[in-house]
Amino acid sequence: MTKIFRYECRRLLWNKFFAGFLPVFLFYGWQVLSHMTIRGVAHTAPFSPWSYGDYLGRMLPLLWIGSLFFLTFFTSGRARRAAALTDAAPISPGRYALARCAAALAGTALLALACAGGAAAFYGYYFGWRQWGGLLLPSLATLVPPLVFALGSGWFLGRLRAWLVYPWMLLPLLCRVLPIPEALGLWNGTFFTEYPLTLNGLDPVFSLPAAVIAAQVLLCLAGAALLAVSVAEGSQ
Amino acid sequence: MQIELQNLSMTYPNGKQALQDLNLSLEAPSLIGLLGPNGAGKSTLMKLLVAALTPTSGSILVDGRPLDKAERYLKARLGYLPQDFGLFDELTVTQFLDYMAALKDLRCPEPQIQEVIRSVNLEEKAKARIRTLSGGQHQRVAIAQALLGNPLFLIFDEPTVGLDPEERIHFRNLFSRTAQDRLVLLSTHIIEDVQSVCGQLVVMNHGQILFTGTPEQLIQSADGHVGVFWERDGVREEGLHITARVNTGQGVRCRAVADRLPACARQEEPTLEDAYLYLISREAVR
Repeated sequence: MTKIFRYECRRLLWNKFFAGFLPVFLFYGWQVLSHMTIRGVAHTAPFSPWSYGDYLGRMLPLLWIGSLFFLTFFTSGRARRAAALTDAAPISPGRYALARCAAALAGTALLALACAGGAAAFYGYYFGWRQWGGLLLPSLATLVPPLVFALGSGWFLGRLRAWLVYPWMLLPLLCRVLPIPEALGLWNGTFFTEYPLTLNGLDPVFSLPAAVIAAQVLLCLAGAALLAVSVAEGSQ
Repeated sequence: MQIELQNLSMTYPNGKQALQDLNLSLEAPSLIGLLGPNGAGKSTLMKLLVAALTPTSGSILVDGRPLDKAERYLKARLGYLPQDFGLFDELTVTQFLDYMAALKDLRCPEPQIQEVIRSVNLEEKAKARIRTLSGGQHQRVAIAQALLGNPLFLIFDEPTVGLDPEERIHFRNLFSRTAQDRLVLLSTHIIEDVQSVCGQLVVMNHGQILFTGTPEQLIQSADGHVGVFWERDGVREEGLHITARVNTGQGVRCRAVADRLPACARQEEPTLEDAYLYLISREAVR
C-alpha cells in the first residue's frame, strides 16, 4: 500500500503538468497578494484572516483545477487502459482505490500548502508578520470543503465519463460570475469582503455565520460521500 | 492448476452474443493456443477468465471452485497480458514493474524484476521512462509484468503484436519454456505463433469452439481437403477457398482448401494453416 501510494504521488507530482502548473500557481498567488491582498479587504489589515481568506478565495479556482487534473491520472482513457493490467492483480480493489485516493488528497494538500506558504512568505517579507497560526481556521474553512468536494465529485464524474472532469474544472470560475446564495459566499469571494463589514469594530475576529458553516460542512460531507462511493465502486 | 468452463455464455448489454455455451477443460502443464479470426470471441473469453467480465450464464471453475468465489485465489496465481492495455508513462520500466509487484503483493521483488527484464530483453531500457519506448518495447514491458511473480496460470492475448520477427521467435520460445510447469493460454490469430510451440489448440469462431485437440489432429482433419491447381484452369467451384496464390514461370498456382477438391487439383499435404482455414471455411459454409 505504501509503495503504491508513493508511486502514485510520484506520478501526480513528478510530471510536466505539475512542473508547469506549480510556478504558474505560485506566480499568480504572488500577483494576487502583491496587487490585491496588500490593500486589505473590508478595512482590515492585509494579513488579517479576512484578507487572507479573500486571497484563498481567489486562488480556489486554480486549486480546484489542479485537484481535478490530479484525478485525470486515474480517470483518463489511458488510465482505464492501464486498469486492464492492474485489475488482474490480486490486491484488494478497495485498498488500491484508497491508496490512489490518498495520493490525490496528498497532491491537493501540497498545492494548498504551497498556496498558504506563498501567503506566509509574503506576510513575513513585507510586514514581518509571522503569526501564522491565526490563518489556520480561514485556511481550513475556505479550502478543505471545496477541495474534498472537488476530489469526490471529480472522481465520481470521471468514473462515469472521463471527459466530464474537464468541464467540471470551470465550476469555481462560474461561481465567481453567477449569482449564488450568500451561504456559498466563500466560493465567489463576497463573504470575505462583505461579511466583516456587518460585524462591529475594526479588524473583527474571524468567524463564520451558521449558514456558511452548514454549507461548508455539507459540501465536505458530499465530497467525502462521493469519494467513498467511488472507492466502493472501485472495489466491486 | 485446472480451469474448467461449463456451458459458458456471454452476451453484452448491447445484445451482441460473444460466446455460446462453451465447455472446455485446461490443465497445467500445457501451452494452449487459442486460435480464431477477429471477432471470434477470444478476447471475451480471456476477460471472463480473469474475472474482468461476468458471464451471462454458465460457470468457470478454478481448481474446482467457482470463479466468483475464487477471484483472489485466481488472481494470486495469474499473469495476464490483455490485447489492449496502457502503461504508466511517467514511470521507468523498473518502477512500473515494481509498482505491479506491489499490486501482486510480492515480497523482495527486485531479483524477480531483474529476471523478467532480462527475459524480455529490456536490460538496456530498464531505467528508461515508459513514454520513451517504442510500441514493441511497450509490449515487452507488458509481457514482463505478466511473468512477474512466476504465476501458475498465464494468459497472453495477442502477445506478439508489434514485435519484430526475431522477437516473436524469442517470445514463442519463452512461452514454451514457461509452460513446462505451468498453464499458458496463448490467444492469437497468427498461426505461426502457435504451430511450433503449442501442445493443444482451441479454435473458436462466432463465439463457439470449433476444435480442441493437438495440432496434429487439426492437420489430420484437413487430410484430402488441400490441393493446388493452376489459375488458368478456371476453377470456380462452390465451397473452394483459395489460401495462397503464387506467381510462377508457368502461371499462377493456387492453393485451396475445400470439402471436395476440383478434379484438376493435385492433393497436397496440409499445413496447420491449411487445416485452420479449412475448419473456419467449413464453418462459414454451414
